[in-house]
Amino acid sequence: MNLCAILLLLLTFAVPSWGKDLEAFPNLNFNDPISLKEATRVLEEELKLAARPQTYLLIDLVTGTIHIKSRGMELHQMPIVRWSSGSREELKGVHRLVARPQVVRRKIEPGAGVEQEPISLTDMPVDYVLSFAPGLTVSVVPLAAKDNLLQGIVFLGKSWWRSFKNWSGTVATDQLSATAAHLQLTISVDHAQSLAWSMVDGMPLVIRRPTDK
Amino acid sequence: MGRFLLAASAVFLLALLVVTAPTGREVASKDSQAVHQSPVVDETGLRTLQARYKALSKQLSQLMPNQPYILVDTARNRLYVKRQEEVVLDAIASTGSGTILDKPGESNNQWIFDTPRGEFLVQSKVTNPTWIKPDWAFVEEGLDVPKNPAERAEQGVLGEYALGFGKGYFIHGTLYTRLLGKNVTHGCIRLNDSDLKGVYKLARVGTPILIF
Repeated sequence: MNLCAILLLLLTFAVPSWGKDLEAFPNLNFNDPISLKEATRVLEEELKLAARPQTYLLIDLVTGTIHIKSRGMELHQMPIVRWSSGSREELKGVHRLVARPQVVRRKIEPGAGVEQEPISLTDMPVDYVLSFAPGLTVSVVPLAAKDNLLQGIVFLGKSWWRSFKNWSGTVATDQLSATAAHLQLTISVDHAQSLAWSMVDGMPLVIRRPTDK
Repeated sequence: MGRFLLAASAVFLLALLVVTAPTGREVASKDSQAVHQSPVVDETGLRTLQARYKALSKQLSQLMPNQPYILVDTARNRLYVKRQEEVVLDAIASTGSGTILDKPGESNNQWIFDTPRGEFLVQSKVTNPTWIKPDWAFVEEGLDVPKNPAERAEQGVLGEYALGFGKGYFIHGTLYTRLLGKNVTHGCIRLNDSDLKGVYKLARVGTPILIF
């Protein structure tokens, strides 16, 4: 009886604490070695970022989600409607933001006594390019409202033009080389503005790539 | 009779086999990874990969704070106190306006009134804080910056509590509660009295503050 009690006690302390260890990618196919390799690669890269006091971006092309994270925790997420890219091989690694769309800041006139309209989410661009080093551009294309045909045509046209320019080796808003990898994300207008707001210079980015061909 | 029973049993078993035979592969859902089967699955390699993935996943989860932390969403002007995934407090806040003010006498030098992004720690907790007005508070009003430090002190404008997180930034109260939910501050994070008290009680020196 005493032995049983001792064994039970030992077993209790040996059981790992539940609830603390969260699954990094809950939808992962655990029996697919290729998916596991990709998930492991992303985790290795994310661990280096999460070890430092910073926010970073994880674009998960498997689940179609953009995550703003810190210390391995999700701070905010935005769904991707659709995406396209060139070579997926070049999406590997950690990339850092080097250029983003400029936001016009309002200047305070001293003593004017007039409150300046502050910056808000609605001031953020909806259709823009984020440039990362080494060699990656991420184009954000907004999803047009369903009942706004003109807006849809404009966004589609811009998207095609940008794709053409990338294909022909030039980038609309930056001087990156023609060999830069390219990822295009279509997300809602609100999320496009939210993403633009959240980007800070030097922000690291990791991309989880799908493993289907 | 025996032969009849034997034949009936055989037919029954055959029918059972036909009904329970597998009909084909599941179609993968459109936004999930393709379920493709490796022609040869190296069991040992797979187990190694699985173990590695689990170990890394565990390492990542162990980087998360195991104490309450403060999360500030500057785009939507919300402040949360969280304990792992649980939201303990959900507050409406005001964060930096993003406006700029030229520094007098310094060409190409400006104050930019953003709430800083990233990870910080609560460095100080103060009750009944006094606002020591920085230079910009005078410049903005078109006033001269006072030489006497005592002229910078202003009571009763920061609420009952303040939590400092470095470089002059605080979480504090406000007289302008109608402006909560908007980006109107000079970088600090403002809360109403009740939420501020809640945050003050939940946070300690060293509590992480994550701002995005």
